[in-house]
Amino acid sequence: MNQKLPLQDPNARGRFPGFDTASQAEYWDMATKAVVAERLGMPPNIRFFTREEEATANALCDQLLDQQEDPRVPVVHLIDARLAEKQYDGWHYEDMPEDAEAWKQSLAALDQDSREAWSRPFHECDLGEQRGVIQAIVDRGSGEWHGMIAKRVWSLWTRYACSAFYSHPWAWDEIGFPGPAFPRGYKNIGVDKLEPFEVRDAKPVDPTRIGDADRGKS
Amino acid sequence: MRLLPGSLDHVRERNESAWLMPPHPGTNHQLRHDMRRFEDDDEVDLVIVGCGAGGSTLMQRLARLGWRIVALDAGPFWEPERDWVSDEAGSHHLYWNDPRVIAGSDPVPLGSNNSGRGVGGSMVHYAGYTPRFHPSDFRTYSQDGVGADWPFAYEDLRPYYQDIEEELPVAGEDWPWGDPHSYPHSPHPVGGNGEIFLEGARKVGITAKVGPVAISNGRFGNRPHCIYRGFCLQGCKVDAKASPLITHIPDALAHGAEVRADSMVTRVGVDDRTGRATGVHYVRRGRERFQRARMVAVAGYSIETPRLLLNSATERWPNGLCNDHDLVGRYVMVQGAPQTAGRFDREIRMYKAPPPEVSSEQFYETDPKAPYQRGFSIQTVSPLPITWSEHVIAQGHWGASLREYMSDYVHWACFGALCEFLPRPENRVTLDEEKDRHGMPIAHFSYSQGENDQQLLQAAQQKMEEILHAAGADETMTIQRFAHLVGGARMAATEDKGVVSGDCQSFAIPNLYLTDGSVLPTQGSANPALTIMAIAARAASRLARGARGGPPR
Repeated sequence: MNQKLPLQDPNARGRFPGFDTASQAEYWDMATKAVVAERLGMPPNIRFFTREEEATANALCDQLLDQQEDPRVPVVHLIDARLAEKQYDGWHYEDMPEDAEAWKQSLAALDQDSREAWSRPFHECDLGEQRGVIQAIVDRGSGEWHGMIAKRVWSLWTRYACSAFYSHPWAWDEIGFPGPAFPRGYKNIGVDKLEPFEVRDAKPVDPTRIGDADRGKS
Repeated sequence: MRLLPGSLDHVRERNESAWLMPPHPGTNHQLRHDMRRFEDDDEVDLVIVGCGAGGSTLMQRLARLGWRIVALDAGPFWEPERDWVSDEAGSHHLYWNDPRVIAGSDPVPLGSNNSGRGVGGSMVHYAGYTPRFHPSDFRTYSQDGVGADWPFAYEDLRPYYQDIEEELPVAGEDWPWGDPHSYPHSPHPVGGNGEIFLEGARKVGITAKVGPVAISNGRFGNRPHCIYRGFCLQGCKVDAKASPLITHIPDALAHGAEVRADSMVTRVGVDDRTGRATGVHYVRRGRERFQRARMVAVAGYSIETPRLLLNSATERWPNGLCNDHDLVGRYVMVQGAPQTAGRFDREIRMYKAPPPEVSSEQFYETDPKAPYQRGFSIQTVSPLPITWSEHVIAQGHWGASLREYMSDYVHWACFGALCEFLPRPENRVTLDEEKDRHGMPIAHFSYSQGENDQQLLQAAQQKMEEILHAAGADETMTIQRFAHLVGGARMAATEDKGVVSGDCQSFAIPNLYLTDGSVLPTQGSANPALTIMAIAARAASRLARGARGGPPR
């Protein structure tokens, strides 16, 4: 349980030294402990994505969440499980298919863009090439992209990817969030007040006030 | 009059729910085990569709008067200690996740944002804010020339507001806006986000108050005190935050009502010859069944109530029940709910303490100097990490910059506005061609904003930025969202203007009632739960009085 995510940016890495959410599991209720433990255990097998889709989805999610080395939060396994179980969000846009089909179509379209630009599937492009392909989709905003509205595809990808990533205790460690809080609750609420198990930010300066100009956006 | 905490014992005489809870977080299993169970062939006095704010309140009130009631809900009869978790992603099952199609120029995401499923309804995962509507909300058309007038006035609802505020109970400071009033429980202490709101508002001269939240501050009956763990939107395992599951269902069961969970109602049964409702068709454990009843109350909320009426078409009502005037499914409203966050070098840690802490209704009413009609309220929100990531993504960050911004989470405070978007007939629920697993057409919800709506969004964002900057924020970010659902089968004085009367009785079918948020003609800038409960309590009272203790024959 002591693994840490290798956050790329030197300024953000280690903001909460020694903070280890999962070490607090003994204070969580049983139902909560079970759902969190599942995320820390072996990820479910890929059931929904084809091998090609899995490769594309991994390359895409590694980019979205900047997970370029192990250990990684197994984001694609978690997305795959939701899609296999049709655990959608209770709505889809009129001009888009439901989420599982939208994932398949959008991954195929992403691959097609890479082949047209770089004559290689997306997952074989280098990281800079991949970023270019992705940013081109982001830049389309409300415009069309392979028969879909670009920002709605973006919302689909980021919604599923972030739900998986920020449900994981490793991600909580990185952002200083202690995770489950029942039945213990909080005793010290208010600005700058900490519980004994919380860790103060070691680098509290606004990231936008530090350093290089290209760090605002990817 | 300010009542001190602990002085709410008189509530027990009219609603014993809090005293029927175990003296610790959990469920009264004996009460559920002993629950009365009716047969499908029993012609019960009332069958209710949906056990949320409206359905549960109606059930509790009429069960007390001896009515024989079955209340069906499509979702489970929650056991919070087993079914709910102190975790964001693990709470996905609290929402109505069946497929729905969203459309229009401003499509409104459903599910987690505004749609509950299971006994307790959306109040299981609402934040807990329970403001009253203002008196002006009941006459926006005659006063401001927009929206619609209600068939009754604020004063008609006031006693029901007071009753429900005691039964939840609501905690907050003395309330200076609308009809000034006090709350039965004193205000909660606030966390970092609330402190920032109070500090910033004071500096710019905006009045802000702690509350009103339906979270007990001190013991209420057997219900415990809040533990400030911040997971109000994930279902309150503590039993401190009010939802009908703990505020009205226990008392209803103790008075002989049955809650039949996991029962999806697909049609209201109507006899074309007599023009009366006969019961409801529903699916339970894969079997199609029919519950007979002398009266039907639909309380499925603004998407499912219209969907059920439209899907219950007969020869007499070919366009859906109660839809001779093409009003069913129309005038569905959502509030514009931009959220603006500010960045502080201090640690705010907004995940600590309930997200609903502090609010301001200073901009609620029409400002004669502003170019728009009606207004907005501002409240603390406090998104947990997954939801917070949507805020960061919305600024265009992804990859390394997303991770970096997210690692800054403890430094952000976040407010949300509720802007009174105006009702429009084209904002409506219809039946889609796509069908669900029961073979029932799914809901198609089309939504588009008007110009007034967009002006409100800008004004609200500007005020939130002012407060945050005054408190010392050096950077702000805003995300555009929607909140709440109301309307879709609105009440009115006459049948050409609305689907139901002010008593929630449908104009078309005398023994068919709608008792949920779908009947609201306007929405104000207030969270709707309290008003939905008060309307249902009023409808129950009128029903009981009008029928001298029994349903109309």
